[in-house]
Amino acid sequence: MIEALLQALFSGLALGGAYALVALGFSITFTTTKTLNFSHGDFVSAGSFIGFTAMLLLTGAPLGSVIDVLAVGMSQQLVALLAAIGVMGVLGIALYATAVRPFAGKPGMAWVMSTIGFGIILQSIGLAIWGPAPVKVPAALGEGVIRIFGAGVRSQELLLIGVAIVVMLVFDWVMRKTMIGKAMRAVAHDRNVASLMGINVNAVMLGAFFVSSGLAGLSGYLLAPIASASLFMGLGTALKGFSGAMVGGLTNPRGCVIGGFVMGILESMVNLWQAQWREIVMFGVVILVLAFRPNGLFGKKLVEKV
Amino acid sequence: MLNMFKKSGLIQLAVAAAVGMGASSAMAQEIKIGYNSDMSASGSAEFGLSALWGAQQAAEDINAAGGVLGKKLAIVARDDVAQPPKAIQNTNELLDNEKVVALIGSANSGNVMAWLHLPQQKKIPVVSPIATATDITKRYEATGENYVFRVSMIDRDQIALLVAYAVKATKNKKIAFIADSTGYGQQGLKDLNQVLALHGMKPVAEEKFGGKDTDMTSQLSKIKESGADTLIIYGLADANAYVLRSMEKVNYFPVTLGSWANVNTPMIQLAGPKLGEKLIFTASTTENSTPKASQLNSVLLKKHPKMTAFVTAAQSYDSVMLLATAMKQAGTTDGAKVQRALESLPTTPGVIKTYDKPFSKTNHEALSVSDFHLARWKDGRIVSYEDDITRTLKPADLKK
Repeated sequence: MIEALLQALFSGLALGGAYALVALGFSITFTTTKTLNFSHGDFVSAGSFIGFTAMLLLTGAPLGSVIDVLAVGMSQQLVALLAAIGVMGVLGIALYATAVRPFAGKPGMAWVMSTIGFGIILQSIGLAIWGPAPVKVPAALGEGVIRIFGAGVRSQELLLIGVAIVVMLVFDWVMRKTMIGKAMRAVAHDRNVASLMGINVNAVMLGAFFVSSGLAGLSGYLLAPIASASLFMGLGTALKGFSGAMVGGLTNPRGCVIGGFVMGILESMVNLWQAQWREIVMFGVVILVLAFRPNGLFGKKLVEKV
Repeated sequence: MLNMFKKSGLIQLAVAAAVGMGASSAMAQEIKIGYNSDMSASGSAEFGLSALWGAQQAAEDINAAGGVLGKKLAIVARDDVAQPPKAIQNTNELLDNEKVVALIGSANSGNVMAWLHLPQQKKIPVVSPIATATDITKRYEATGENYVFRVSMIDRDQIALLVAYAVKATKNKKIAFIADSTGYGQQGLKDLNQVLALHGMKPVAEEKFGGKDTDMTSQLSKIKESGADTLIIYGLADANAYVLRSMEKVNYFPVTLGSWANVNTPMIQLAGPKLGEKLIFTASTTENSTPKASQLNSVLLKKHPKMTAFVTAAQSYDSVMLLATAMKQAGTTDGAKVQRALESLPTTPGVIKTYDKPFSKTNHEALSVSDFHLARWKDGRIVSYEDDITRTLKPADLKK
């Protein structure tokens, strides 16, 4: 029983790492622009495919083939990773320019529709290029199973957990200890006053979207060896990541990451009990948390000025 | 006024044109057979593609030999991307817009069960060249006018073989099942439980997973704790591969059995040779089963060099062939008459075998367990599987 619980814990942490990165992405754009990127899931899927395509191009393999794990070296993996983050970041800027900036700050929620629309366009383009079938992607550090106290984990899962924690710590440090972090927090607090104080609000928002979308690309790239690169992988991940952000508190980056991990572990534990109840329990918990703490476990009360 | 027409010969021209148009449109009239299946999205997409190519080849061969009732056969295909709503949409389109006289499909049992009522209502014969859920051909049997037929490896018979093997292979009499939550896995679980009960046993554990899940470690931990030394997996190729990978994580390697879904390459691609070769599954027709099969295989490979799953191409070929034979026998494409003709076909040669009265009022399955055997992946190819247990299997063991 202990072994099964430990196994579920590790699987949950691995999944939770992906949700945490996605939750962080939602938090970044929400705090700086008061908008959410509803196409975040499609960015995750696209990121996994961009990374995979980059690997194919770097190893000279013909497009549309399946790669063996040994064929991709560490440096090539790194370049593919940077490609995934970079391309998705640029797409994030495109998203901001076309779908968010015209509507942000204005009354109404037009940005919801435009970000959803951007996501659908992205997914359709992806389907036209890569097709709907899932693709096997090699893991950076090999496919072997590592045993920790009898539970089995794959290297990629540990990598995902590690990266999620590192990203959270780095982001925390940037937010609190650097000028850019201060500027972002100022813009999040009050856009107009920050602008008056000389902060380039536009640049900060662009940066926020670049980082958020880059994180989506990172999540997709890291998830692909675990769950197969697929254009439909993003939807489930984004939904659960968003739930994690809501549970943890959309305005608190640390809370978002913790919320993401909580969702992952919850999912794994329910799997241990009755797999078909998984989504029911997970979202039931989300509703319960929000009923008692509408701003999430760690979020601050959002006051809207009339 | 009419005189003017008569003089200028316009009437003759009009009549000639009308007759000409009538004749050419009769010639242009084709017999449309609809093909509705996943060909791109799920773990069984390869089955769907091969079946389409097999059907098209059958239509080509039949047309070359003169067609059916003086008309040419045409296969009208739609991809349902493994989504039941899309499958229903396709079926409506094929039945109402394209006015097909027969339907072939799908790769996913869940999808077939979603649209089955439509052709049954409209009295359009259906032949399933892939989907194996037992209920597909049984659902309308009681009505006395069942329009659904199958040339494929019906789950009940596959499971009869798998359970017969499992009952002999298990050393501690503990067998477990794990299945996906789609129509395929759910129906499969029903059959598994019923057939195992015929052997006087019950499973010690029964777990489910989502079709797109990639981590089944929790379910497998519970099965491992139940002590089962034999496991039957009922899911699609990619999900089965993830079950194997999860088995590696929990370090649990029982005797593992599965269905023919594992013929699709995603299984061995995602699981890798070390894990994938542990899975024993049911299979039937291969490229060298019969001379006609070899011939069909080489013809298809020339046109589609990337074809992987030959079995569904052969089954689909024979499906179209049987439909055409029934239409010729009935002398019409009218659904009700073709349905009766199908139920009374005489001995008919096919690619897979020579069918001796393939269908009857109570049997809509062209293939049965005697056509199946066990196989596994080895060095990138599917090979027949034999061991001491398979050699001792007798027809009496294959309870269903």
